[in-house]
Amino acid sequence: MDERTAEAIARRAGLERALEAFPADVAAAASSASNVTDRVRRLSGTPSSEPWPPMVVVRK
Amino acid sequence: MSELHWMTAHVAAAAIANREISPIELVEALLDRIERLDPKLNAFIRVDAEAALREARAAEAEAAQRRSRGPLHGVPVGIKDIIDVSGLPTTCHSKIFENGVAATADAECVARLRAAGAIILGKLSTHEFALGGPSFDLPWPPARNPWNRDHHPGGSSSGSGSGLAAGFFPMALGTDTGGSVRNPASACAIVGTKPTYGVVSRRGVFPLAYTLDHVGPMTRTVADNALMLGVLAGHDPLDPASVQPPKSCDYVKTLEHGVRGLRIGFVRHFHETDMPADPEVAAGLDRVALTLRSEGADIIDVTLPALEDFSAVNRVILQSEAWSIHSEWLRNRPGDYGRLARRRLMSGAFIGAGDYVLASRQRSQMIGDVETALRKVDVLLCASSMDPPCRIDEPEEIERTYMRQARAPFNVTGHPALAMPAGLSRDGLPLSVQFVGRYFDEANLFRVARAWERAAGTDALHPSLAG
Repeated sequence: MDERTAEAIARRAGLERALEAFPADVAAAASSASNVTDRVRRLSGTPSSEPWPPMVVVRK
Repeated sequence: MSELHWMTAHVAAAAIANREISPIELVEALLDRIERLDPKLNAFIRVDAEAALREARAAEAEAAQRRSRGPLHGVPVGIKDIIDVSGLPTTCHSKIFENGVAATADAECVARLRAAGAIILGKLSTHEFALGGPSFDLPWPPARNPWNRDHHPGGSSSGSGSGLAAGFFPMALGTDTGGSVRNPASACAIVGTKPTYGVVSRRGVFPLAYTLDHVGPMTRTVADNALMLGVLAGHDPLDPASVQPPKSCDYVKTLEHGVRGLRIGFVRHFHETDMPADPEVAAGLDRVALTLRSEGADIIDVTLPALEDFSAVNRVILQSEAWSIHSEWLRNRPGDYGRLARRRLMSGAFIGAGDYVLASRQRSQMIGDVETALRKVDVLLCASSMDPPCRIDEPEEIERTYMRQARAPFNVTGHPALAMPAGLSRDGLPLSVQFVGRYFDEANLFRVARAWERAAGTDALHPSLAG
């Protein structure tokens, strides 16, 4: 994730104060998120694989 | 009889029931030790001496009348400070809650310990919000490792691990979202279990990530761990993730059955190719496998998905769910977090909803993969930490080794997992091993762990620093 994209996402998330006071921390958080999401996107999967936990309806 | 501070929960409970020691004598001895040694270790955020002595006097009076509240009557316990104890603030080791109000009720896990007769000694250090640590920029200093104070004790249940290894209490509560019970167990040469997801209630525990959070017992011996989990396990209708364990929660009964005839799957690729471990860690794991084979188990190589894939799925889910909890504070009070927690918690802001769902779908497949493996074997054996605990004052080394672990896979899948000592390194630092069981089959997990403990004598390991 490049610096401008990270800053735009941080502003959209409301992290202006963090951007001003802790820009290195915002950049580190963006980099960490980018690494793990890239890895997850590379994993193979089938459309029939549902999220966990599944939706369960319980009679009350 | 052993020194009071090294007494196990089992031995202490029996000695109190037989009137060989009094709970007051035990609590006073531990409080004295805490007063002398904790300034060097920082295991406690708050010692509640007055309440502990009051509880000890009540327990003594009941014992004198041959009355017992339960299997932990008069036995002291420490509580990680993200877990509510009635009358005490829950700080989460953070400035965010530095001046927090006292909890009005015990967390369900604390209530169960109290009902079984345990005495609460106080609240224990943690990584900030069970995630950011070890950190020196928080209102309280980080816990240190009794095996070598210059090294970290693991985390996030750092005070629980440190205090157990130092002989401050025989039992502690920890929580585990990416390995936080098992990391300090590995770093401090104690026993820590992350039970099957839903077996121990999370009500009254400050959440880190809802679908990954577990509460678990931490002790110095396998038998105490089994005893403690037996008290903690059970359905809580007020915790939406809670389940009624379908099997008996008497985990002590089969402890000494040995491993003859059990099939143990050795997940070598975690530490041999996925994240090559320190050679002493790898040698320790081989030693455990050989010993269990000599005790009569079949050791079979097993392959699971790559460790980095489990870790990525764990991180995406953890950071997304944690962001939903912390986003308002991170927007308005970012300076009230320590640097590590701020960085790790803000990551969730950069993960999209689609990636969270994708990770949750991968999680389903990983559950299937582990389930398939556990149909062929009874228990898995694998690494916990890939390195002995590093120095606490080297942030780069902390950062490098933080993710070099094989605990997060079983937060992703919810299978029960136990970490315990595998010996000591040449430098005298703890080495560790992890066992993983089928859902709700903690009994077999404890059985294997006890067989290794008995053969290797790991329950006799105590650091000399603690005196």
